[in-house]
Amino acid sequence: MMHCTMDDLLALRAGEASVWARRHAEDCATCRAELDSVYQRVAQLKALPALRPPRDRWPLVRDAARVERVRRRRTWSTWGLAAAAALVGVLLVPRFGGDGSKLHAELSRAKDQSATLENQLQNYDVDGRVLTGRTAARVAELEDRIAVIDGDLAGRSGVKAQAQDAELVKLWQQRVDLMRELLNARSIRTRYVGL
Amino acid sequence: MTVALAVPDVLVARAQAGDEAALEALFRAFETPVYNLARRMLRNAEDAEDVLQETFLEVVKSIRDYRGEGYLWGWIRRIAATKALMRIRREQLRATEPLGEELGKPGMHVGANIDLERAFEQLTDTSRAVVWLHDVEGYTHEEIGELMGKSVSFSKSQLARAHARLRGMLGEGEGARA
Repeated sequence: MMHCTMDDLLALRAGEASVWARRHAEDCATCRAELDSVYQRVAQLKALPALRPPRDRWPLVRDAARVERVRRRRTWSTWGLAAAAALVGVLLVPRFGGDGSKLHAELSRAKDQSATLENQLQNYDVDGRVLTGRTAARVAELEDRIAVIDGDLAGRSGVKAQAQDAELVKLWQQRVDLMRELLNARSIRTRYVGL
Repeated sequence: MTVALAVPDVLVARAQAGDEAALEALFRAFETPVYNLARRMLRNAEDAEDVLQETFLEVVKSIRDYRGEGYLWGWIRRIAATKALMRIRREQLRATEPLGEELGKPGMHVGANIDLERAFEQLTDTSRAVVWLHDVEGYTHEEIGELMGKSVSFSKSQLARAHARLRGMLGEGEGARA
């Protein structure tokens, strides 16, 4: 006697079996028993205990997510800052004169230093990976602070008051200081990794 | 295993805004189902851990693209299944899967879960993945075919072969023919 194949049994389970298979299964106790076994196996598979990860992978995911977040923000802030700096230059340069020339020189110096540090940082951002959570947290914190300053600088692009000029220089200098710290953190990490 | 499907919308919204605590809450909610899925599909526990990590890196990167259609678990599960299948494909490129399998090892008896679990582990990577996705996770053959880049009939035949092998390994009745 010809019995149902496994294909037939699975088709019966799915309600897609041929007319022959359906009729045969109704009459054949062996095939009905086989079909029951399929149901039981599937039920047992579903009832297998959940396997839990042996180690906590969240710190690795978190660190990588921080790096990704910072990288995205830096890409944005680099472009935004470049545009803002150009605009600030156009708006403020004609206003500097007399006592303002000292501020102008300081502003130019801070912007040059900032650009140099930015270039140096690109060299350390080789693989985007961070060795330890502590380093990642420090880098993220510094990037956050730089991003805040960048946002402030970008927001000042339309400000014309002379009183803001000194503050602008101060912000750029703060940015330079933070970038130095960031460069330091990244270079220590890079030396440690041996890149 | 049963997965709690309901995740508060506010938690998803916070995660989409980049809130680290919300992202961790999502990780904690789904780490076990994701790992379990990967571990059942893959032979190696370390590979499953890697899939867990890769899945959540993808979740963190793409959570903004999740539009709330369907359950979040369905979205995450698809990412995890894709990652696990990629790993299987990569392994298959490195080494051809053995054609023969260990049939009916001593000590495998009908009924007990531990035996079924051991028999399941003896299946080829592809068969195991198809069985788990279809029978446990509830994917259709169309979905499995799409995930694997194969046809619907490939998925169906893998499932039938896998069940025939499980049946043989578990020493069940002789009525059916594979």
